[in-house]
Amino acid sequence: MPADTIISVQGVSKKFCRSLKRTMLYGVRDVACDLFGFSQNSNGLRPDEFWALDDVSFEVKRGECLGVIGPNGAGKSTLLKLLGGITLPDKGRIKVTGRVGALLELGAGFHPMLTGRENIHLTGTILGLGEKDIAETFDAIVDFADLKEFIDVPVKYYSSGMYVRLGYAIAAHLDRDVLLIDEVLAVGDVGFRAKCVRHIQNFLERGGSVILVSHDLGAVGSLCEPTLLMKSGQTWRFGPTEEVLNVYYTYGDGRSTSGHGAMPAGQTGQDSYSENAPVAIVDVSALNVAGRKQSIFRTGEAMTICVEFTTAEPVENPVFGVAIYNTHGARCHAITTLTDDWRVGPVNGRATIKLRYPQLNLLAGRYIVAVSVSDATGLNCWQYIGFSCDFFVDQHCRRDTGQIFLPHEWSINDLDDSPEIS
Amino acid sequence: MAKNGAAKYNNTWFLRALQLFNMEEAIQSRHTAVAPALASREHAVDVVYTPGGMRRDGVGGWRIMFKELAESRRLIWLLMLRDISVRYRQSILGYVWAVVPQLATVGVFAFLHSSQVLSISGTRIAYVAYALWGISVWQLFAGCLSGCTTSLVSSGSLVTKVNFPREALVVAALGQPIFDFLVRLVPVVAVFVWYGVTPSWESVFIPLVLLPIMLLALGLGFVLSIANLVIRDTGNALGTALTIGMFLTPIFYPPPVRWPFSLVNLLNPFSPLLAASQDLIAQGFLSRPEMFAAACLLSLILALAGWRAFRVTILRVAGYA
Repeated sequence: MPADTIISVQGVSKKFCRSLKRTMLYGVRDVACDLFGFSQNSNGLRPDEFWALDDVSFEVKRGECLGVIGPNGAGKSTLLKLLGGITLPDKGRIKVTGRVGALLELGAGFHPMLTGRENIHLTGTILGLGEKDIAETFDAIVDFADLKEFIDVPVKYYSSGMYVRLGYAIAAHLDRDVLLIDEVLAVGDVGFRAKCVRHIQNFLERGGSVILVSHDLGAVGSLCEPTLLMKSGQTWRFGPTEEVLNVYYTYGDGRSTSGHGAMPAGQTGQDSYSENAPVAIVDVSALNVAGRKQSIFRTGEAMTICVEFTTAEPVENPVFGVAIYNTHGARCHAITTLTDDWRVGPVNGRATIKLRYPQLNLLAGRYIVAVSVSDATGLNCWQYIGFSCDFFVDQHCRRDTGQIFLPHEWSINDLDDSPEIS
Repeated sequence: MAKNGAAKYNNTWFLRALQLFNMEEAIQSRHTAVAPALASREHAVDVVYTPGGMRRDGVGGWRIMFKELAESRRLIWLLMLRDISVRYRQSILGYVWAVVPQLATVGVFAFLHSSQVLSISGTRIAYVAYALWGISVWQLFAGCLSGCTTSLVSSGSLVTKVNFPREALVVAALGQPIFDFLVRLVPVVAVFVWYGVTPSWESVFIPLVLLPIMLLALGLGFVLSIANLVIRDTGNALGTALTIGMFLTPIFYPPPVRWPFSLVNLLNPFSPLLAASQDLIAQGFLSRPEMFAAACLLSLILALAGWRAFRVTILRVAGYA
């Protein structure tokens, strides 16, 4: 198959206005300029405007699946809108060869009072299908959406999952050359998600091209090649998916990694510090085998959490705890010196306590370390830090998905021929 | 049970109507092969998006516009059916609501007229029949205009998230008012029979008068729908303007002849069109053919200019919905 270019984006920029009132003013002006043919200088920013997309360039070839990742507000959806021809760029040039199917919002054309059946006809027509195409694909759409019993129910009685399933099913049967998919893998149940992934893979095999915007880095990692990482409207990294994902894992969402970043406040517990605590935690860091600070670890590598603290007076047997959370706030591992029956002994002045994981069996992602210190009984917490440091895990070439790596092996036994079973 | 349900709903008139429209296509579809692999397809067309790309269409743009309009006729038809079909689904009286406001308004004026509070004379046919016809035509115009104006804003994410010929939304907004007009003909005919008014046979040409009325509404509607996307005041302003317009049009009174009130006939582009329909019913010929021709021409120009303006600006303002 020739590796011809399907989408070419050259220096594309798009600006948006933050203020509603100014939007009206600029809108009137721009519309007047369009109508009367005045050319206007669209290169500058007017008050309250910002570049939602700033000089983005890339190409997508036939059969490629481009992943677009980045923090919220990076301009990913704006990019898809421009590619779908829904709005025009302010600068630059976009060339698309072939027909584009944009899945920016599933079920966007649905009317709540119409039944699923009627909405398939209506939405299909809005998306450019002829009656012939709809008649041909109708059963396939219903099958794909798995809505046989509900197809004659008004869609306003659909659950949100059913609504989205029907929306995806229609879009999936559009028979387009390019699909623009915006975060649709995030909705629907597990079975439907798998169906969508299968559909995308199938579509790619048939020579279609896909641009997938997603926060699900696992899906991007397995489906996309290459990947575009965006930050505040600009291309941050564009290249092989594995490299780009590593950049994203390393630098997180591009905001300060010393703050809570993507972590919703309080998900790993509220920070606390009691006034008359004899122990104060000064610094927490993740160290590599060589004892140096490191922010990316490979799955299976050794990692040491080092907690530096000072005491105001000699303390006997304080209890230290360390917990590792993922970015959804799920606790991946937690342990205290008390539960491990490990006596800290008397401490005084400045000291560090280290917790070593000989094998860090976590899979790719960003992790947050919470630490605590309490009295010898473990009941009175002196200090708790919900976000003391974070680190990223790069699972490298491992294909496992999930949160933890479990060493595993496969085997097969033929039951008919094996004598020890019969 | 699901099967019975399917059979029942499969026969909703919405689906039947759209099948009717596509009979020949549906028959052809049974003998079509499965779509070939994407890569082997020869239909690939380059689409280029650049700033202000729409503006540089030139004269060839008109050809594209008519071609695309023809291509989206099925979509327009479906959107019309949707609006009509959906409107009264969760209602008991249903389509009766199409005639209630019109009957109520005329009822009030008939009462004021008969009780001599309002003294209106000089209508060529019975006053109630005259007023009912006038308000019906006016509501066709007003319904088309306000429907077109709100069509984009009320479609929300369809406009902001889907790329399709958006003029279809504006044109399809004519469907509901046209349908309502047809429903309203029932009480109109009843009143004509009751008052013994016999329209002249030339009344069969009335659709030719209604056409420029709809074109006028469509042309203004194209522009106002865009304006409404940018500034939401448009919708409110239009409501007020239509209320005033109703009284500045010879609906509840015969066309004034005395200066300066006769200006109403001259400055209001809708008046000559309404007057033409009233002429056809009452006398069978147009008393001011030149005015009618001018109004027709104006409607046509407005419709084309509005459509073009819509095309040029829609992609800029699509994000405003």
